[in-house]
Amino acid sequence: MKLSEDHISYIVKDLNYRGIVVEGIQEELIDHVCSSVEEEMEKGLRFIDAYHNVLKKFGHTSGLRETQKQTLHSHHTKPQDMLKNYFIVALRNLRKHSFYSLINILGLSVGVGVCLVIALFVFNELRYDKHHEHAQRIYRVKAEIIFGGNHWKMVFAPAPMAAALAEEIPEVEAAVHFRQRGSYLVKRETENIKEPNVIWAGKDFFKIFTVPVRQGNVEGILDQPNTMAISERAAKKFFPGESALGQTLTLDNKFTFKITGVYENMPAASHFHFDFILSTEGLDEAKQTFWLSNNFQTYLLLREGANAKEAETKLVQMTAKHIEPQLATVLGEGATMEKFTQGGNKMAYALQPLQDIHLKSDLQGEFEPGFSITYVYMFLAVALFILVIACINFMNLSTARSANRAKEVGVRKVMGSFRSHLVRQFLTESTLLSMLSFSIAIGITYLLLPLFNNLADRTLSIPFNNPAFYIILVAGAVLTGLLAGIYPSFFLSAFKPVNVLKGHVSLGMKSGFIRSSLVVFQFTISIILIIATIAVFSQLNYIQNKKIGFNKDQVIMVEDMYALGEQSQAYKNEILRNSMFVSGTFSGYLPVSDTWRSDNPWWAEGKDYQQQENLVSLQNWTVDQDYVKTLGMTIIDGRDFSPEFPSDSTAVILNETAARNFNFEGNPVGKKIVTFGGQDMSADKLETLTVIGVVENFHFESLKENIGAVMLFLSKRPQGNLSFRFQSQDTRAVINLLESKWKEIAPGQPFTYSFLDDRFGKMYTTETRLGKVFAIFAGFAIIIACLGLFALTAFTAEQRTKEIGIRKVLGASVGSIVLLLSKEFGKLIAIAFVLASPLAWYGISWWLRDYSYKIEIGVGLFLFAGLAAFAIAWLTMSFQSFRAASTNPVKSLRSE
Amino acid sequence: MHSPELLKGTLQTIVLKVLKDHGRMYGYEITQRVKELSDERIMLTEGALYPALHKLEAEGMLKTETETIGKRVRKYYSLTPQGRNLVKERVSEFIDFIQTMGNVLQVSLR
Repeated sequence: MKLSEDHISYIVKDLNYRGIVVEGIQEELIDHVCSSVEEEMEKGLRFIDAYHNVLKKFGHTSGLRETQKQTLHSHHTKPQDMLKNYFIVALRNLRKHSFYSLINILGLSVGVGVCLVIALFVFNELRYDKHHEHAQRIYRVKAEIIFGGNHWKMVFAPAPMAAALAEEIPEVEAAVHFRQRGSYLVKRETENIKEPNVIWAGKDFFKIFTVPVRQGNVEGILDQPNTMAISERAAKKFFPGESALGQTLTLDNKFTFKITGVYENMPAASHFHFDFILSTEGLDEAKQTFWLSNNFQTYLLLREGANAKEAETKLVQMTAKHIEPQLATVLGEGATMEKFTQGGNKMAYALQPLQDIHLKSDLQGEFEPGFSITYVYMFLAVALFILVIACINFMNLSTARSANRAKEVGVRKVMGSFRSHLVRQFLTESTLLSMLSFSIAIGITYLLLPLFNNLADRTLSIPFNNPAFYIILVAGAVLTGLLAGIYPSFFLSAFKPVNVLKGHVSLGMKSGFIRSSLVVFQFTISIILIIATIAVFSQLNYIQNKKIGFNKDQVIMVEDMYALGEQSQAYKNEILRNSMFVSGTFSGYLPVSDTWRSDNPWWAEGKDYQQQENLVSLQNWTVDQDYVKTLGMTIIDGRDFSPEFPSDSTAVILNETAARNFNFEGNPVGKKIVTFGGQDMSADKLETLTVIGVVENFHFESLKENIGAVMLFLSKRPQGNLSFRFQSQDTRAVINLLESKWKEIAPGQPFTYSFLDDRFGKMYTTETRLGKVFAIFAGFAIIIACLGLFALTAFTAEQRTKEIGIRKVLGASVGSIVLLLSKEFGKLIAIAFVLASPLAWYGISWWLRDYSYKIEIGVGLFLFAGLAAFAIAWLTMSFQSFRAASTNPVKSLRSE
Repeated sequence: MHSPELLKGTLQTIVLKVLKDHGRMYGYEITQRVKELSDERIMLTEGALYPALHKLEAEGMLKTETETIGKRVRKYYSLTPQGRNLVKERVSEFIDFIQTMGNVLQVSLR
């Protein structure tokens, strides 16, 4: 039986009234009900009875609604729908609160950008020397020697050590030694080029280290005297467009080497970068059998499965065996290692893994300056802190804004959202934000890297074609999003809808304890970084301006005087004719790092040299008569060298430390000191010098070291560098004159020079870099923290608009309102300062313990940092507070 | 009448099989057909049927077309090719299940 139009209309209306309204389900249910009613009516029931029967079957209104709800659910439980919805809502929210979103994104992306740079840097540092196939089995011999009042920790070993290692210790598969002789002048035909990366190396170099040879045969590559292997870079430089193999190059105008191999350029992450490897087969010094002089960097490759500890024990036994007989000839019969050690001396050799060299080794004679693992950890910690500061901004802003979102949460909950839905919604929002920030962060990293490379002297780049990079980035973004979102999401989703919608929730301001602690945390870190930066810079400043015992300013050093040969004296005279120059001195020994050093034991005449305590080990510097004058040192006793005294050829000037170490009775001036003469250091030929003066102590190594003993004596032939003191301000003219005269005398020889104060500054490169890097980090940390503070104040001001309005109406001044608004955060910064000070103090003392000469950590430093942080924070806040305070109260109070 | 609890897991199988045997059908027709086939021992409730139909549709197993009869709109369901494959799978899965249940309960099935 068919239903009439009226009946159908009735059903439609009634169902609509009962809440069946959802499109797509409504019609279907109507049709179903109609069909059922028709069937009931077939049984002879009246329409209204039939309809009620059907409704009863459905379970009346609630049953109908349940059916509708269930059906609806089956549509919307697909995960992508859900995510899409979260995504859309998140985007809307971000757009709606664009000010806060901007601050969040800005802070986070800067934080992540900085983190990325540091991560790339750290990753690069940890990669050093890993490219060698046998990296795990390669060790370097290091030495610790205490003798004659000196203490060396160095990478040098005796010349015969490498051969002995390979022969006498079964664990050793191969060994190689290196001899560094500074830079060389290299020429193919006529044009000399100064090459710094030249090394003498034993023939097993290529067997131990993985340096692929591109041209030539690896077998026997360095077997012959006067052969060398060069890098592709060098080959391209000297033989552009042709094969370098079999060609020859001339070094220092004297030695001709045949090229037996061309190898791949050594990777940046290696602790040495040689461009010319000369075979030690042709080096007499390498064939010495003398075990008491240490000049060769020695590396060895252990056999597979060999125990490094055992090899080290055997190394110690082996060196003792070789050293003892030679010790006896120098220190007299019966001298043994044991007696040597009992005399307070030490001569200890040990093995150091190749992979420790870059980060865990700071010895004399390193091929290249390394980095410190402590600094790596420190950088990592700072990177993490900056990221945390950025995440905290996010958390704080989200919870603070909870007031505005509480209604949303309430309505959502009433509409049937579970807590988990809300948590997911907020997490989506934070993850979206962090994704966005990470993408921007890549851009920031891209801009920041060249700056950082310049600062840290590295060649880092973003690994765009490495899939792992993207995976890590996405994982990082998701993790950061979750971390930053988890607190706000649980905080917000916990609201009780009834309280929220009645307006009972004390939002925003009161839930402030956690937020306050987070702000304190941010500022604690910022203040620590500020204090650290100031400390590093003041230490640097202290070092550079300390009284160093000589005058480093206005001195230019012309290098490689040997290129002029016999003409060098004429060159000096020619230059000094110009009034720009005050004086000049020949000496390779200068009071800055990376100039010559030579060490020998001497004793005061009349004392027994076989008594070890009478031996004084000190720097033996050959200089000329103008040395003290040119470098601006001060003679405090006796006199300087002078041409008026021909006897000065056997005279010596000691520094204060040396004069003290000799333990002279009475005035040192006029006393005589003695050493072994000749090449073989034998007791038959003794050499005696007379002390004519004492020079005030001057720093000749980094201020990390105490001042060692030095003696100056005249050399027969001028050598090394020619240093001039000049009085002109026009350094350009000084250089031009020096260069033009050089070119006249020695065309084809490269003219190289440096300023003494630059070289002096270079000794502190690490400190300078550390200072700059810290300054940058501290800057970023405080910027990000202030961004957060800025937004928080803006928010507070917004929340308290009405309060401010009422206060103003009642007569409060702008100043008092600004104070009111800044007071709360001001307190937090004060707490942060109190927390930061001891931590920073501890950190600085720890860093400074390496320095023999250091600044005092005064209260002023801390006060300055605290005030700086406070001032920056206050400026940030006052902008917002001032704006809020100066608004006309009519505006804020009018609407209600 | 069988309890709704027992029917819960088999609802989709029933709907799919009925649709396979009869081509296109609308919701009420399906309940009637099942009632008829089961000698009134299986009564599909609307509260279970419509969510199931909509879910299968959302998953792409069913397609729908609507016809207007006067004031009423009727929505017909039929299987998609994907749905056809699913029917075979579900039915054989169910037969398997019955056999397993027989073994578990230690009863022999006719």
